[in-house]
Amino acid sequence: MNTIRTGITPIAWLIAPSALLFALFFFLPMGLMAMISLLTGNPVVQANVTLTGKYYQRILSDPYYFEVIGTTLRIGLLTTLAALLIGYPLAHWMARIRSRTGYAMLMMTVLAPMLTGVVVRTFAWMALLSDKGAVNQTLTGLGLISKPLPLMYNEFSIVLGLTHIYVPYMVLTLVGVIGRIDERLEHAAQNLGASPLRAFLEVTLPLSLPGILAGSLLVFALAISAYVTPILMGGFQIMTLPMLIYQQISSSFNVGFAAALGMVLLTISLVLVIAYNRILGLVSGQHDLQ
Amino acid sequence: MTVAAISLRLGRFCYRVVNASVVVFLLAPIAIVFVFAVNPTPYIQFPPVGVSLRWFEKFFTSRDFMNALQLSLEVAAMTTVAATLFGASAALALARGGLPGTRVITAIMLSPLMLPAILTGLALFQSYVLLDVGRPLWGLVLGHTLVSIPYVVRTTLAVLQNFDTRLEEAAQNLGAGPLRTYFEVTLPLTKPGVLAGAVFAFIVSFDQFPVSLFLVSPGRETLPITLFNYLRFDLDGTIGAASVVSILLAVLVVFGLDRTVGLRSYAKL
Amino acid sequence: MKTRLPLNRRQFLATGAAGIGMIAAPHIARADAATLRITGWGGKWGQTMSSQLIPAFEKEFNCKVETDSAFPYLPKLQASSRSAPVYDVLHTNSNEQWAALEMGIVEAKIDAKQVPNIADVYPYATSDKIVGVCIFTSAIGLGMRTDKGYGKVSSWKDLWDRAYDGVRGGYVIPVNSLGQAFLMMSGALYGNGMTDLDAAYAAMEKLKPIKLVDFTGTMEKMILSGEVGVAVIHDSGILRYDGQNQPTAFVAPSEGVLSLEQVLTLTPGTKVRELANAYVNYMLSPSVQKTLAESVWYSPANSKVKLDDKYNEKLLTTPEKVATLIQVDWKWYNARKDEIDARVNRIFRA
Repeated sequence: MNTIRTGITPIAWLIAPSALLFALFFFLPMGLMAMISLLTGNPVVQANVTLTGKYYQRILSDPYYFEVIGTTLRIGLLTTLAALLIGYPLAHWMARIRSRTGYAMLMMTVLAPMLTGVVVRTFAWMALLSDKGAVNQTLTGLGLISKPLPLMYNEFSIVLGLTHIYVPYMVLTLVGVIGRIDERLEHAAQNLGASPLRAFLEVTLPLSLPGILAGSLLVFALAISAYVTPILMGGFQIMTLPMLIYQQISSSFNVGFAAALGMVLLTISLVLVIAYNRILGLVSGQHDLQ
Repeated sequence: MTVAAISLRLGRFCYRVVNASVVVFLLAPIAIVFVFAVNPTPYIQFPPVGVSLRWFEKFFTSRDFMNALQLSLEVAAMTTVAATLFGASAALALARGGLPGTRVITAIMLSPLMLPAILTGLALFQSYVLLDVGRPLWGLVLGHTLVSIPYVVRTTLAVLQNFDTRLEEAAQNLGAGPLRTYFEVTLPLTKPGVLAGAVFAFIVSFDQFPVSLFLVSPGRETLPITLFNYLRFDLDGTIGAASVVSILLAVLVVFGLDRTVGLRSYAKL
Repeated sequence: MKTRLPLNRRQFLATGAAGIGMIAAPHIARADAATLRITGWGGKWGQTMSSQLIPAFEKEFNCKVETDSAFPYLPKLQASSRSAPVYDVLHTNSNEQWAALEMGIVEAKIDAKQVPNIADVYPYATSDKIVGVCIFTSAIGLGMRTDKGYGKVSSWKDLWDRAYDGVRGGYVIPVNSLGQAFLMMSGALYGNGMTDLDAAYAAMEKLKPIKLVDFTGTMEKMILSGEVGVAVIHDSGILRYDGQNQPTAFVAPSEGVLSLEQVLTLTPGTKVRELANAYVNYMLSPSVQKTLAESVWYSPANSKVKLDDKYNEKLLTTPEKVATLIQVDWKWYNARKDEIDARVNRIFRA
C-alpha cells in the first residue's frame, strides 16, 4: 500500500472548493457559536455584550452537568457496541453472499430503516414498546404478564432505538471493507488446518479492523449527537447533552449556555476520536484510517 | 473428527440464527409501522382493529405532507449532487495530493458529524440573519450539504486508500500521463466509493431533522419536520402511511441502483 | 470541466437550473401583496385557520399570510434582528410572551385605538399578568379515564394518590407551561402559596413515578390510548373529543383551575403594523372567536361571543366562570426559570 508521495501534486488543489465551503459556512458560524459561548448575549442582534466565562463556570461547578455528559457518553458507547455486535454478522453475510437478488434484498433490509426517517422509526419503537404497545399487549394477551413491562422511558429503550437506527450505517461501512478482504486468504488458512472460526478470528477480523474503527467512530459520533430518539424513547427522564442543548435554546432561550454545552460536546468528541484513532492505529499495525 | 464436524454445524447454525435475528430486529419496527398505517384508530393500539386506507388518503390529500415530501426529495437530490462534488474532490486531494497535515484536514472534513447538528443549524441561521438573506432554499441545501460531505469523504477515502496503487503505476509505466491515469484508472475504480457516499448523502439529507429545524421556512418544510410537528398533535396512522411511502421509495432506489450501476461493484474492487 | 461522477454534466446543469428557478420564484411572488408573518399551532387549530379563517382574512385585507407552525418560535425570533423580525405577530402562551418581553422582542401592550374589539374582552385578557392580548384561554385541571374504575377525582391532591402509580401523566416542566403552572399550584397546595418553591419541589418528588410528555397533544393521545389514566391537562384537550364516545372526562379541581392563555403580541420591528393590528382585531372579532372556540373548545376572550349551547355549558363564557381562573405570575417565574429547571431536571431523572 505504497502511495506515490512526491510532495504536493496539482491534485491537491481539489481540496479548495471544500475548504472554501467549510471555511465560510462551517467554521465561521461555529466560530460565532464559540464566541457566543463566551459572551453575555448574541452580538448579531444585541448591542452591549461583554465577555464572560459564566457559562463554562456553570458547567464546571454543577455535578448535574457531568452526569448529563456521562449519560450521553455511556449511551453512545453502548449503542456503538450493540451496533457492532449486531452489524458485523450481517455485513459479513452481505459481503460473502453469492446470489445477486439475495444481496439486493439484504441491501433493502438495511436501507429501508434508514429511509423511513428517524421520527417514524422512533414512533415505531414507541408502538412496540410502550405500555399499550405491541409487545406488552401480546404478552398480556398470552397471559404471560399481568402488568405491562417497563420497556420504554429508560436508557434501555434509548439504546435500542439508537442501535436500530445506526446499525445500517455500521453495516454499510463494514460491507465494503469485508468485501475487499480476499476470500482466498480465509480458504488458505483453512487449508492449513484452521477451523472456520479460527480463520475468521485470525484472518478476517484483523483485516476488517479499519472498517470496525470507521464504523464505530461514525456510530459513536452520531449517537452522542442524537436528539429525536432520546427525547421520544426516554420519556424526558433521561437527559442527554443534545437534549439539554435543545432545551436551552428552545425553552430557556439561553443561546450562550447552549453554545458552551455544544463546545463541550465537540471537544469531548474530538479528543475521543483522536485517542481512539491512535490506539487502533497502533493495534492494527498500519497507519490509521486518515 | 465428529467433534469438529458438530462444532462446524453448530457454528454455521449460530451464524444463520444470529443473522436471521438481526434481519428480524431491523424489520420488526417497519412491520409494525405497516400495521399502524392500516389500523383505523387514531392512536397507538394493539392488536389492530381493522384495515383501512384512511391514513394514506389523509397523507396524499394533505397539502402540507405532499409539499414536504416534494421538498425533501428536491433538497436531497441537490444535496447529493453538491456533497458528492465537494466530498469526492476533497477525498481525492487528501489521498493523492500529498498535502501536509492530511490527518488533521481529514478530521476537519469529518467534523460536521461530531457536533450536534442542532448547533450547526442554529449557527447557520444566525449567519444567514447576519447576511440578511432570510431562510432561503439554498441555505437549507447548504446546511444539508455540510453534514453530508463527511460521508462522501469517508467512503471515497476508504476506497482510495485501499486500492492497489500499482495499477496507477502500471498505467503510468505504459505511458499514460497523470490526467489520463486518473480518468481511466483511478476514477472508475473509485466509483463504488463515491456512489456509496452519494447514497449516504441522499439518505442523510432526506432524513435530516436538527439542521432543518432552524432553516426551514413556513410552507417550505421538509418531511421529517412536518412529521415531528404532526406527531405533537396527532399520534395516528398518517405517520405510518408516510413511512410506507418512504419504504417503497427505498425499494425503488435500491432496485434502480442495482439496475444502473450494479450494487455488487460497491462491495468488491 | 472534468467530472469523475456517475452523473453527467447535463443532469447536473438541469438540477442547478431547477434549483435556481425554485429560489427565484418566491422572490417574484413576494413582489406583489403585503405579507403578514404569524405563528400558529398545527392540528385542529391549524386546519381551521388554513381552510377558513386565513383565506377570509387574506381576501378582506388583500394580503398574504405566512404561518410558521414549526415550534419553537421564540429562538427564531430571538435570533433575527430587531429591525427585521421573522414574525409580525407572535402567537404563543403567556409564559413565552413574558420571556419575549424580557428580551425586548415583543411589545408590551396592544394599541386599543387600532384594535377596537379589545374593548369587549374580559378583564383577564388585558390584565397586568398579560403581555399583549389574550385571545383564548383554557382551564388547566385534571383529565381522567372513566372506564378504569378510578374513585372520585375532585381535588388536585388526588393526583398524588398512590393508586395512580404507573398511569399518572405530567409535563416536562422546563419546556411546557402547563407543567410550570402546575408546579406553582403545588406550592399553593402543599405550602404557603404559589411562590413556595420548596414545598413545590417536595411535592414533585412525591409525584413519581409519572409519565412525562412535552406537549398537550401527546398527553391527549396517551389518555386516549390508555397509557395514562389521570393527568394534568386543559379542558380543551378532553372536550375536543366530545361526540366521539371516548371514556374520558375533565375535572375542574376544587382548589381552582389555572389559566392557559393563547396570547398575541406585535413585534416592535414589524413593517406591516396596520396589517398586524388588523389581524389581532380579526382574531378578536365575535365570528372568528366563535368559529375557533367551537372547533378546538377554547374559551373565547371576547365577552360578546355567543356560543352554541353545548359549548356554552362546558366552557368559561360568563364573568362568574371566568373569575375562577387563576392567572400565573409569569414574570416572577421566568426570573427564576433557570434554577427551577435545574432543580426539576434533577428531581425527574430516572
